[in-house]
Amino acid sequence: MTLPKGFGSSGAGGASSSDVERMIGRRVENMTGIITLSYIAAWLATFGGTWAGYTYYPWAYPTNSGHFAFIVLTIIEAIGYLFCVKVMEEGSKKNSNGIIAVTLGATTIGTLIISLYVG
Amino acid sequence: MAQMPALIPKEVEIQRLKKIWLIVIAMGSTAASVEVDNFVDGSLHQTSIRDSAFTPAHWWLYSHFITLPLGWAAAAIYDRKVPVLRGPNNSINTGLKMTILGYLATMFTIGVNEMWHFWFVEEIFAVPNHWMFNMGVVVAFMGALAYVVRVYARLVELGAETPGENPYVAEMYKMALEGKLYSRAIP
Repeated sequence: MTLPKGFGSSGAGGASSSDVERMIGRRVENMTGIITLSYIAAWLATFGGTWAGYTYYPWAYPTNSGHFAFIVLTIIEAIGYLFCVKVMEEGSKKNSNGIIAVTLGATTIGTLIISLYVG
Repeated sequence: MAQMPALIPKEVEIQRLKKIWLIVIAMGSTAASVEVDNFVDGSLHQTSIRDSAFTPAHWWLYSHFITLPLGWAAAAIYDRKVPVLRGPNNSINTGLKMTILGYLATMFTIGVNEMWHFWFVEEIFAVPNHWMFNMGVVVAFMGALAYVVRVYARLVELGAETPGENPYVAEMYKMALEGKLYSRAIP
């Protein structure tokens, strides 16, 4: 197996485990934090977009439509978030079910409160 | 399933394929949300016949024409680290080429579309200015499907994902691994 320049011992032998780790960089099962932050950012952006719609263009985008879109999009984003974390951690010993539960629970409550009281 | 030659260590390849998979799942969520917006956009056009490009239902719809090309560009850049995903003569993957061509057609047509609607106010799906728009999206999605199936098939081959039980699905994965999902002649 030919390794990229700078990896492996010169000329002979395959990749050592430290070589493999260097080639991998950050492992996907350790990306739960950034995936969770991305999901929360996407959820906030969704709120911002729908809020701007029913605040500045109420004739084209009634508040009820905005809330409906916000709820549906939150569900879609939540499914994507769940897939991302579960697929990245499968086959490893990592388990972030607690983080997933807290994040999804918090955004569910947030979505309900926003849909009931904002706009 | 035919074993592809291993050019990088298996563990490295699985991790890299899963990083591509992360981008694909994020783009899948975007595409799913745009499917919902097709209905929002349709209901908007029932009440306001022809509006501007900047009404909220269009922000949602048009933002995916930015998000998905950027996402595929990220996949195309990172894709160079996985030898099995390279296209003919070490070029970019054929599925990604189709995706990029499809979105280029779509982006070009956004301009054409706005010029057309400057003079003609109707908003009918089948008008000629929408043709290349819709065909571009279809070509982009076809290329994306070929690429995604190939990534998944390789993860199956490396033992990181479960193989399909349906023989027709298994055959599709096999063709995808050989780069022949859509054509036996063009890898």
